[in-house]
Amino acid sequence: MVTLRISGIDCYYGSIKALDNVNFSVREGEFVGILGPNGSGKTTVLRSISRVLKPHKGTILIGDENIYEMKTVEVAKQLAVVPQSTPVTFDFTSLEVVLMGRNPHMPRFKMESKEDLAIARNSMELTRTWEFADRPVTELSGGERQRVIIARALTQEPQILLLDEPTTHLDISNQLEIMDLIKHLCKTKKLLIVAVFHDFNLAARYCDSIILLNDGKIVAVGESNETLTSQNVRKVFSVDTIVKKHPITGFLHVIPISKPRNQQQKSLSIHLISGGGTGSPVMKTLLDEGYRVTAGVLNLLDTDQETAQLLKIPTTSEAPFSPITEEAHRANLKMIRKANVLVITPTQFGAGNLKNLNAAETALKEGIPTILLEDGSIEERDFTNGKATNYLTKLKNNGAITVKSTSELVHFLDKLENKNNKNFHQKKEP
Amino acid sequence: MTSMNLSKAEADYFKRFARWKIIVILLTLALILTIAFAVTIGPMQIPPLDVYKIIIKNIPFLGDLVRGGSSSIDEVVVLQVRLPRVLAAAIVGIALAVAGVVLQGLFRNPMADPYLIGISAGASLGASLAIAFGISFSFFGLIYSIPLMAFVFALGTVLLVYSVARTGQGVQMLTLLLVGIAVNSFLLAIMAIVRIVSGDAIHAIMAWLLGSLVASNWDYVKIVLPFVVIGVALIYVFAKDLNIMLLGEEEARHLGVDTERLKRIMLVSATLITAAAVSISGIIGFVGLIVPHIARILVGPDHRILIPSSALAGAIVLILCDTIARTIVRPVELPVGIFTSLLGCPFFIYLLRKRKRSVIW
Repeated sequence: MVTLRISGIDCYYGSIKALDNVNFSVREGEFVGILGPNGSGKTTVLRSISRVLKPHKGTILIGDENIYEMKTVEVAKQLAVVPQSTPVTFDFTSLEVVLMGRNPHMPRFKMESKEDLAIARNSMELTRTWEFADRPVTELSGGERQRVIIARALTQEPQILLLDEPTTHLDISNQLEIMDLIKHLCKTKKLLIVAVFHDFNLAARYCDSIILLNDGKIVAVGESNETLTSQNVRKVFSVDTIVKKHPITGFLHVIPISKPRNQQQKSLSIHLISGGGTGSPVMKTLLDEGYRVTAGVLNLLDTDQETAQLLKIPTTSEAPFSPITEEAHRANLKMIRKANVLVITPTQFGAGNLKNLNAAETALKEGIPTILLEDGSIEERDFTNGKATNYLTKLKNNGAITVKSTSELVHFLDKLENKNNKNFHQKKEP
Repeated sequence: MTSMNLSKAEADYFKRFARWKIIVILLTLALILTIAFAVTIGPMQIPPLDVYKIIIKNIPFLGDLVRGGSSSIDEVVVLQVRLPRVLAAAIVGIALAVAGVVLQGLFRNPMADPYLIGISAGASLGASLAIAFGISFSFFGLIYSIPLMAFVFALGTVLLVYSVARTGQGVQMLTLLLVGIAVNSFLLAIMAIVRIVSGDAIHAIMAWLLGSLVASNWDYVKIVLPFVVIGVALIYVFAKDLNIMLLGEEEARHLGVDTERLKRIMLVSATLITAAAVSISGIIGFVGLIVPHIARILVGPDHRILIPSSALAGAIVLILCDTIARTIVRPVELPVGIFTSLLGCPFFIYLLRKRKRSVIW
């Protein structure tokens, strides 16, 4: 029964603190993943466990033994490491490299025995590297070489396996194959595994628990659904994500949405009339450009409504699949009046949302510039026997502007924005 | 799982242990033949058979088997001039080649040679001082001030380099390399001063710097042999660890190698054998750099075979080159370093072009 206990370790590179009071423990048969941004200390955790970087404070125990008081060879009998990459300035064959994994178990003056070779062969067959056993590692591809290194780690017959982004160099099929193998060994051979990941989804798929690391400190520990929350990911990576259980695999799925661009905030505020997903890309683009965005009326559960929620865009909303009520309509008009520009996306219009076009008419009359994003398919989108088309034609006749794409829209808005700023300054000057 | 039917790759793997034995036996035979050939060559014409008779006569127990006398001059030439010189060449060749293998492995750098971390500069300075200022002192009743000064200065320089490069975390190989280069340049500058003020002694200094075995005698052999035997044996004990070191220091540690201890043992051993060799031969280039590469091309990168084959090849190469150096332009002796490079480099380039295994270095 092997356990790995890390208690209160602080690690330094020179005077820079890389790990700050890191605590966790792992049991045999457990697969722990470490996630965190670049420079958060993920690899440092592995380096301290593998005795490369001695912590200034705290202890690391295998069972009851402090690893820094054990002999190098004793540690190597129990613990194997698969690094991110291995330098190849030598021309050993794959088999020779894998057999080096037997080193901690071999007496100094013995050559490799048949048993050693059988163990090496077995791990090479598991990692599908036996077929190029006698090829020099210098001639292998990155993925093949990484599989050789994993075979070497298995040949050490360790109880603890440390992996530093083990599948970074592998294609998707190899990634899954190797991770499946490691997971299998973890369960069948009761291997204790600590692995650093870059890929949330890979970590969520294979790890029993996940450690989220930021600035050398543990932010969260636990099962993936407890640790990989949208909030935690935003806190650590400052990226907005959707976290969902994947409908087919059942694994947690983390989908990055955006990292907010540090665009200068613009003065114009834009209201969107949209629906059915036609407004989603516009919302993101306008936010990225630095405009303030509102939207409505949108039905709850509508794609655009969900996007708006995710992007924290204020909306007027209506119950799912219901026509717009008078109340929502008035709230929407109020919202539109606060905006400087109104944009109508090419959504479908039916009896339920025709009120939105009515609102647009009112807005245009009140002097709010209105822009129609058109794709030339009004007839196909009109489920109101021409009422919507009428509205749109009227809007155009009364001075609404038509643009054909989001980029044209942005271009036009930028012109308005500049004009607006000029006016603002001119008013101030005299 | 442990199938006793070996596949081809497995069978091949075990065949190589047998192959290693054959390589060592063949190279040992080649070395014996080289020695046997070299002792018959010299400015004085002595029939080969007489040479062997003289040698065998002086081997305990075997001596009685040989009958027939030979002139006492022949005996002096063979026993006091040729034999110690050939053996000294063998010992120096072994030392330089093995030290080269060790440093190339340790630094994972194909450019590494035994002189990398200051040995040559230190030894040169020591020898130059001894020659220029006629420094002389006795050592166990023997007066060999030049070798002694060379040896002491070589060790002192490496010690300096090592202690400067050392930090609390151990020794960084890259720092060691850079400090070695810096100290080398520094000592070479001092050497230049010594040469300028040395007057007529400059020719003797130049000759020493080019490397020569002309001064070899039995005392040299007896003093240097223990260093080389112990040093090479110690290095061979850690041959397997040196293999693993090629994967990188961190990985070597993960595979159970105490890398700090390994570096210490290897550096001390390589320094001792090189300094011992240099003290009696001067700075002989090429052998320590290229013999290991030649051996690597021929037998592969595994240090368990690479070390013995480099050692034997180094001895053979240096004996042959020295034999040419002392006979080609009679009665003048040319520095042996000229021939190690002149003959070795084209051969090395030929092997590089012809190699089958992909050798990065």
